[in-house]
Amino acid sequence: MILLVAATLVALQAPAQGIDPRLERLDSITRPIVAALVDSARVAALPTEPLVQRALEGATKRAPADRIVAAVRRLALDLGHARDALGPTASPTELGAAAAALRAGAHPATLTELRRIRRESLTVPLAVLTDLVGSGVPVDSAAAAVLSLAAKTRDADLVEFRRAVERDIALGAPPASATAAAAAVTAEATAVQVNAGARQQRPGRP
Amino acid sequence: MGARAPAAQTTGTIDVGVSSVRYDGFLPSAGRSHRRAGTYLRFESGHRSLQSLLAGSFLIRPAEHRWRGELGGSLGASRYLDFASFWHATADARLLILGADRGVWIGGTAGRTSYGRAARPVTAVGIGAWMQRSPVMVGGSATRSFVGDTAYSDVVSTAHTRRGPLALDASIGARFASRGGGRGVFGEASATLAVGERTVLFVAGGRYPTEPVSGSVAGRYVSGGVRLRLASPARLSARTTIPSASRPGTPADGDPVAGVRLEVLPRPDGVVRLVLYVANTAAGVELAGDFTDWQPLQLRRTADGMWETVLPIPSGVHRLNVRIDGGGWIVPAGLTRAADDFGDEVGIMTVP
Repeated sequence: MILLVAATLVALQAPAQGIDPRLERLDSITRPIVAALVDSARVAALPTEPLVQRALEGATKRAPADRIVAAVRRLALDLGHARDALGPTASPTELGAAAAALRAGAHPATLTELRRIRRESLTVPLAVLTDLVGSGVPVDSAAAAVLSLAAKTRDADLVEFRRAVERDIALGAPPASATAAAAAVTAEATAVQVNAGARQQRPGRP
Repeated sequence: MGARAPAAQTTGTIDVGVSSVRYDGFLPSAGRSHRRAGTYLRFESGHRSLQSLLAGSFLIRPAEHRWRGELGGSLGASRYLDFASFWHATADARLLILGADRGVWIGGTAGRTSYGRAARPVTAVGIGAWMQRSPVMVGGSATRSFVGDTAYSDVVSTAHTRRGPLALDASIGARFASRGGGRGVFGEASATLAVGERTVLFVAGGRYPTEPVSGSVAGRYVSGGVRLRLASPARLSARTTIPSASRPGTPADGDPVAGVRLEVLPRPDGVVRLVLYVANTAAGVELAGDFTDWQPLQLRRTADGMWETVLPIPSGVHRLNVRIDGGGWIVPAGLTRAADDFGDEVGIMTVP
């Protein structure tokens, strides 16, 4: 936090040179502050591209300057928390996904546990976790499902798992139950999976 | 038919209700029904009927492909008084080809059935298709069945929609080219209202045809009751005529962007094809995301009325919005929504 505040103060005197040219789309007040936040993130070895993109998103959506600055600042903080949870070896895409997961409500301990149990990239598992929470699945249920799958499940299967949950929710299943059911199916599946919903859930005939 | 699949496959429900039914060729009757691993009916006459059915299927689902294989089986029996008893055992196989919001299947069934005497062979072939046009899912199928000397063809169309806790289903069909299986038009409708995670009120009615495989007689009925869910719900894919989608999604009720749907199609060469379906006429559709530096990108209109672009998008989590005819930035169906820090929403897309 101190670093970011200092960066904001420094921004008031920061020269325009060295600023990412894409930030030229920001107004003259917003641009140096965002540039300073980006520089601070760079010094802290955090990925800067997500910060630039967040600022550009605000510019495209014609957001007020204070909102753009607040959004970039908050994302920088989230990226820092994500790195704390995942460790210094986390890739930029992992940190971006982890920041989104934290913003969605995931607990840092969940991220740390994911790092411990999965050798491959955490980007997709974290994205799935964020998506599930965004779909209405309680954070604890979503985290439990992703943790149960993360160790042995390929990215493509995780994406398919998320689609299965979305589909079942769209068809009326309670989000937490849909997640648990899909996770159970995915966990036991390799090439052949059991289709538990073989028949329509319509009222039957007498 | 209360247990739609083996218990290990996560579903378990009990339906308790009352029905009024008029079987073709029989007197009308009312009854109380209880369903779990089967259906127990007690008629006004005091006579009882017991039906049971065990059904399940396996999906062969290779990752990153649009086709699915499905192998299924059905084992059932029913008995009324001491003179009418049936059993059947069938296996079926299907090939499903799934798109984002549509799909087709082709399949076949083989087995045996018996009506109190020597078992007869059962064979059937069918083809079907389904399509989702939010918030309604429609489907259709055509089957040709042979049960011993009996043969008949059915065409059926179905529709399903949901508004919050209320789900509506309807079907209409016709039987023709029949030899001993009856013929005519049939149709059913049902409504379910979820009043909790485990409790659903239902009402259903209509006319169904004779089912020579399982031994049910054509009839008309009205039924109502309550369904109690005993275990976690099953995967609710509607197999009978509407195979599950690879990415169906359904806009929420009152969704201002209902009718706008994005399909994300990663290709092996590292680029991603983004296809946007827009229900209403649009003169121009733009997309902006962190893979375009949030510069609006005009989508190209395809011959079939879709809007698309093909871009190199790196693996990871991406944010994007679309806008139609210069309007506000919206999140199309098919993406996860999130607050965007600017007082609106942004779509989240994952590229594996």
